[in-house]
Amino acid sequence: MNEHSRVLERDKLDIAEPLSDVELRLPAVLPRESYPIETLTPDARQQTRAVGQRVTRPDGRLHGLGQTKYIDDLSFPGMLYARIKRAGIASARIKRIDTSAAEAMPGVMAVLTGKEIPVNSFGPSFQDQPVLVDDLVFHAGDGVAAVAAVTEQIANEALEKIVVEYEPLPAVLDPVAAMREDSPKVHAPNSNIYATKTIRKGDVEKGLAESDHIFEDRFSTQMIEHVSLEPHAAIADWDANGRLTIWATIGRITLARADIARTLKLPMSRIRIIGTIVGGNFGGKNEISQEPALALLSKKTGRPVKGVFTRGEEFTSTTTRHPIIMDYKTGVTNKGRILARQIRLVLDGGAYCSWSETTLGKACILAPGPYKIDNVLSEAFVVYTNKTMTGAMRGFGAPQVCFAYESQMDDIAKKLGIDPLEIRLLNAFDEGSPSPTGQVLHSVVIKESLRKAADRFDWEPRS
Amino acid sequence: MKRRGRGIACMWYPIGFTVSANPSAATVKMNEDGTATVLTGTVETGQGSLTVLGQIAAEALGIATDDVHVVSADTDTTPMDTGAIASRTTYVTGNAIFLAAEAAKAILFEAAAPMLDVKVSQLEAKDRKIQVKNYPQRNVSIGEVALRAQAVLGTPAIGSASWNPPTVALDPETGQGKPFATYVYATQIAEVDVDDETGEVEVLRIAAAHDCGTAINPMLVEGQVEGGISMGVGMALQEEMLFDANGRHINPNLTNYIMPTSLDMPEITVDIVQGFDPTGPFGAKGVGEPTAVPTSAAILNAIHDAVGVRVYSLPATSEKVLTAIKAKRAAEQKQIPA
Repeated sequence: MNEHSRVLERDKLDIAEPLSDVELRLPAVLPRESYPIETLTPDARQQTRAVGQRVTRPDGRLHGLGQTKYIDDLSFPGMLYARIKRAGIASARIKRIDTSAAEAMPGVMAVLTGKEIPVNSFGPSFQDQPVLVDDLVFHAGDGVAAVAAVTEQIANEALEKIVVEYEPLPAVLDPVAAMREDSPKVHAPNSNIYATKTIRKGDVEKGLAESDHIFEDRFSTQMIEHVSLEPHAAIADWDANGRLTIWATIGRITLARADIARTLKLPMSRIRIIGTIVGGNFGGKNEISQEPALALLSKKTGRPVKGVFTRGEEFTSTTTRHPIIMDYKTGVTNKGRILARQIRLVLDGGAYCSWSETTLGKACILAPGPYKIDNVLSEAFVVYTNKTMTGAMRGFGAPQVCFAYESQMDDIAKKLGIDPLEIRLLNAFDEGSPSPTGQVLHSVVIKESLRKAADRFDWEPRS
Repeated sequence: MKRRGRGIACMWYPIGFTVSANPSAATVKMNEDGTATVLTGTVETGQGSLTVLGQIAAEALGIATDDVHVVSADTDTTPMDTGAIASRTTYVTGNAIFLAAEAAKAILFEAAAPMLDVKVSQLEAKDRKIQVKNYPQRNVSIGEVALRAQAVLGTPAIGSASWNPPTVALDPETGQGKPFATYVYATQIAEVDVDDETGEVEVLRIAAAHDCGTAINPMLVEGQVEGGISMGVGMALQEEMLFDANGRHINPNLTNYIMPTSLDMPEITVDIVQGFDPTGPFGAKGVGEPTAVPTSAAILNAIHDAVGVRVYSLPATSEKVLTAIKAKRAAEQKQIPA
């Protein structure tokens, strides 16, 4: 011990030997022995080379014991429950909304419609999504009115009392038909094609002309929901000082605060968003949904308001994975080298943009696959339809295009009599390969991953 | 009769996204007993990101994971973050936390240098101590240094930093540019049984080899891969939102929207491919989304290998597979000369 540390003795905190983690924890309700869960912290959490350790999660014990508090586990004095009435019609003009019967119900504290929302639009790229539709319905899962009541049951019953008169409009459901000039417009007067992307490298026509074989296929994928265990949920509390606190299952609180400030015309300093522990996101909770409506219901009633989506709303009223129609034309040599690839992607964008622009970009850039191809033309279009909006979902378009480029790769291998592993090793990126956008790639280990998986699988070559 | 097949699929995937900047900011506060508190605006969505971020802070400070507490997701208290999206948390938020921890550590080193009679550049933080490089026996505990910095010198060891991945905007005409700072790579190989009388597909096993740069926490990487594969199995064989002619969703429930349960899951082996990305925190990239990318392609290639039919539209339900098998048989029979 040197001089400096001796000087420090008197300043030392009296915590020479802190209690262990196990001693600090609250005991569970039942005797610990009765839980089939390992309660001791593995040593990995104590290691001082922290990176690379198989460290257990600090929230794991609470999850295992069912003690994690999700939004539906939270409640506040006087809290109300909100439900949203859904349109149930894919495309229509709203002629009349009558909420008087619902408002007259005992236990109903407030009803909200789209016209009451200060700025009734949001979205990460384009602000094309209303919080509650006020004039036009863009898809069947749209919310037309929200109710706050003392119980969830009363709120549900109140939805039945809300009368909405619609004038049905033609619905656009097929993305390819929606691209035609004469198609009805989802967001008139704008074109249904709301974003495009092109990646051009080399000369694809020349590359195809020089190829020994041309493979041409159309692949398509379906609309998929994230199906997180925990649905979208939030509690809004507008306090007497005009400051808004929202507990929400949102994965992007910085963006959410900006969107809520915009829709409610509030300065950001008056908004606090607390991201609770989320029971699954997978891209489905990357933007606001019901939060501005809950905030306004809280403002109207002076009480905290909770909203939790049903499983049905999770499907029909939140974002989903883009269905993509994928046309692939690929030219290869007799030896299996890909010389050129021409790709056209049509993404079904649903009723609103959401994260479609990002999905479009990633799908377009990734579509040629992890292969050295000198001549690439990749074009992508995302199209409005009167269906549930598509947005961010684990992979942003990559699982769809991977299905296409890897299916075609196996067809090429089979036709040319090359083992599927071999043809991939022949074409795969190396360290320093240029990507389709001309980016020089670094830390490229695609071939290592191919060999490692093949070793583990006991892949025997056959052609 | 059940026919067995195998299918391979590989992929590449970018870390972060490209619409505009996607920065993260972070604050790391040393406590005067040598533990630390991290403030981050990202959200724990079940993937274990806060654990990984805590490990990154701990590694930078030379302390253990248990010494770090991560506070997240409160716009009043935590710095901005682009969020739990685009597989960017470990890479982007991790880099911000690494830089914030380095800034806090620099204050500790300033306090420790005179205690050990060396220059700041000669110090390293390791095993909960600040020690002289190559002379680990000359050391002082981090707690002692943090207390001295705060209570004696009046310079509490708090660091804040932000990081944004370096990218180059794409040319609007040609799409040429550097849209992402880095990419990860992966391969999955699936083995399936296909019943050629019913079209039913059973996924037996999947060998997955994923690159994520340095695996900050290999156990959580394995968890991500297994979860991603479950989504890939659903995409390959079962899941589909169906609409009627009027645009109403007809299966908005888990009775009619079929997704994999534990009984549908194959045996999974996960290999983490050795990799190191110099731009990531301790060489790390990311892993969340890519795990779900190659699964359906590998399964569809295995179906093709098993029964010789190519299904061009997902999901490959039993009906679709059986229809394709029947069409193939009909085509083969027609080719028999009379």
